[in-house]
Amino acid sequence: MVGEEAVARGRLSALGHLPPPVLAGERVLPVVPALTAVFTRTPGLRRGATVVVDAEHAAPGAVSLALALVAEASAAGSWAAIVGVADLGLLAAAELGVRLERVALIPDVAPAHWVTVVGALLDAVDLVIAHPPPHLRGGDCRRLTARARERGSILIPLRPGRAWADGADLRLTVAGGRWDGVGTGEGHLTSRQLTVTLGGRGAAARPRTVELWLPAPGGGVAAADAFAGADIDRLPVSTPPLQTAG
Amino acid sequence: MSAPDRPAAGNRTLVVWCPDWPMVAAGIAPTVPAAAFHANRVVACTAAARAEGVVRGLRRREAQGRCPELVVERHDPVRDARAFESVVAAVAAFTPRVEVTRPGICAIATRGPSRYFGGDRALADAIRAAVDSVVAGLPAGAGWGCRVGIADGPFAAVQAARRDLIVVPGKAADFLAPLPLRLLDEPELTDLLGRLGIRTLGAFAALPAADVVGRFGAVGSVAHRRAGGIDDRSLDATEPRPDLTVEHEFESPADRVDAAAFAAKSLADDVCGSLAEAGMVCRCLRIEAETEHGERMSRVWRHHRAFTPAAVAQRVRWQLEGWLAGQQRCGCAPELGCPGGDVCPHPVGGTSGGLTLLRLVPEDVGPDEGRQAGFWGGSTEADERAARGLARIQGLLGHEAVVTAVLGGGRGPADQVRLVPWGEPRQPARPGPPGSTTGPAAAAAPAPTSRTLRHPTRADVAKPGTRVRTSGRSPSPTERPVWPGRLPHPSPAAVPVHPRPAEVVDATGTPVQVTGRSDPSRPPARLSIEGGPWADIVAWAGPWTADERWWDPADHRRRARFQVVVDDGAAYLVTLERGRWRVEAVYD
Repeated sequence: MVGEEAVARGRLSALGHLPPPVLAGERVLPVVPALTAVFTRTPGLRRGATVVVDAEHAAPGAVSLALALVAEASAAGSWAAIVGVADLGLLAAAELGVRLERVALIPDVAPAHWVTVVGALLDAVDLVIAHPPPHLRGGDCRRLTARARERGSILIPLRPGRAWADGADLRLTVAGGRWDGVGTGEGHLTSRQLTVTLGGRGAAARPRTVELWLPAPGGGVAAADAFAGADIDRLPVSTPPLQTAG
Repeated sequence: MSAPDRPAAGNRTLVVWCPDWPMVAAGIAPTVPAAAFHANRVVACTAAARAEGVVRGLRRREAQGRCPELVVERHDPVRDARAFESVVAAVAAFTPRVEVTRPGICAIATRGPSRYFGGDRALADAIRAAVDSVVAGLPAGAGWGCRVGIADGPFAAVQAARRDLIVVPGKAADFLAPLPLRLLDEPELTDLLGRLGIRTLGAFAALPAADVVGRFGAVGSVAHRRAGGIDDRSLDATEPRPDLTVEHEFESPADRVDAAAFAAKSLADDVCGSLAEAGMVCRCLRIEAETEHGERMSRVWRHHRAFTPAAVAQRVRWQLEGWLAGQQRCGCAPELGCPGGDVCPHPVGGTSGGLTLLRLVPEDVGPDEGRQAGFWGGSTEADERAARGLARIQGLLGHEAVVTAVLGGGRGPADQVRLVPWGEPRQPARPGPPGSTTGPAAAAAPAPTSRTLRHPTRADVAKPGTRVRTSGRSPSPTERPVWPGRLPHPSPAAVPVHPRPAEVVDATGTPVQVTGRSDPSRPPARLSIEGGPWADIVAWAGPWTADERWWDPADHRRRARFQVVVDDGAAYLVTLERGRWRVEAVYD
């Protein structure tokens, strides 16, 4: 009797591991309009994708970029989790439009548990921003990428270092940024122009560069040309001509 | 004496007294002379028998001598209680919490029902009518009735019920004063006091309390207070919490999760079944286990809405995996495979032996308010999936490891955020300005202003260069503070838990200070973080000064915050406090 019970339970649990049905219209999670330029094939984050957000030479801006990526989907009702980012500025997340009540934070994870936790989160929520511990194995990275693809959730490794050197569907690298609004003892930080290099697999393999306002004057994200005619002479740092996104 | 001398308002009690209840229960009409006997003595009798001289405590032979036609009944407390249940049910229709003193007498706390039914008099009349109709429906119930009394405290209320009275609040002592001492039901005390010449409750109550305690001890003291109309015992108006704990003892220690989880499944059904019978739901469940080596483990699980049997079984299973799997297995998820093969590099701490006992204790139990499934925007399958998955991670890492952020009021970027464990109520630490949690649209950041503004007004306090001294007055609940001195938006995206020490110097290499007028001593020129290389400051703003909690020596903080941009484009929020600079946040 017990044996049959175990078999039956095994079958049930196997059924439980089937991915839930996903409607075609839900295969893409929305992003803020200014970021649609980042995605070539789909108008948003494709479910199952791995999107690496990194920064060249530890340039700041990667955290804001990752938050901006999930903001629209979070506002549309998707659940998100942020793993291993102990110093996350949650006020900035809220200002970028992230719905904090739909974000679970796991600030400190022992390296031994990191893969387990991220794997379980990929089952549970739609978007996982995860900062990996150093010396993460390549095999673990591949397994997590495969799991995200299988479960239709989106994995966003944040500043992964050498992990996910390949295997990411899309790679956003912050090349540099420039703050506006602050002078010598006057004003305050208002906005930042961020240069982001895009790479990845397939159609995204050809490197491109986009310029973004992150945060834009007044908050949120905006395309680089959104403030082309604005009164930027007031800004203390001289602004070079804006580049068109390639 | 520390207890209050005036009875609390919640002490007011209504007592329903059905006289000669054993005779009513026996189905004897009041006109028939009858008595119930226990151990050859009269316990109760009808009014007709009383008229013939039968009293309580009389021997049967003597009672029959005074009243030859006396009907003799055996005293049967079980029958009395059974019959009284219908009366209790009638009273319980008014308020659910009824205290039965003995068959024939029951009491309720009047505080809520009295207000609802329009006062003590109306409540007493309604209950008397209800009970009378119940008694009249009993066999030979015609002619019997009940009496209702209301007074401060159960003792006075019983005496009031005997006289069918309502005693004005606060007048219990006056009401009791002329009554005989034997009503206290303390025969030894009454006897002794009677020999001392004290025969009424009022005379007893007039004795000094200290002398009564000194002579009669605690029993005398309680009786003394009751005689004075002060009844320390108050009726509990709340529904008692039923004991819903369930447990399972394993005949042989269970060292496999499957075996323990199988028992957990039936426990889950039991606990949820008994909760459902009581019309309650459980939002917080404690799972306890004992191992064969005497280890005791306990972990509390919380559900954001209410536990279902499946949810309980799932939580128990996860918890058991956390406890049991650690013995032999690794901490890697089985689906991902363990990189270390047989010797896992990521072992998880666990128990040293099999489980011998599993116990489920519902902790936070409340009424089942039902649940309306969401039509649009309600709870969805994705919400359920997220809740399950996050609860599972809480089982792996601990309840506090998974948190969610709540925004509140404050000045610095860290002050405005409070982290609460997942599943617990989201309450901000401090009230914030209206709309502070709604994002950039509502965030009215002051426009960049020039420092030529030399005469700050109170309205301009959020701008840099103005000193803020917080007020010690706490805001009223309806008024939401605006937190002057709050940093303007955008907020930094990286806020280290522990601010990193830094150095900020001017062009000559002298550390920058802030004057009492909130001006920097010299313009900051270079920044070094944690002894790192010096970076040139190309732009800066501030200071935003705040003199916080100056009324509290332990928590008093004076801080001046600067935004600085260094030559590689990075922007920092640096803070000067007690002459030391720290990097409070990075605009990442």
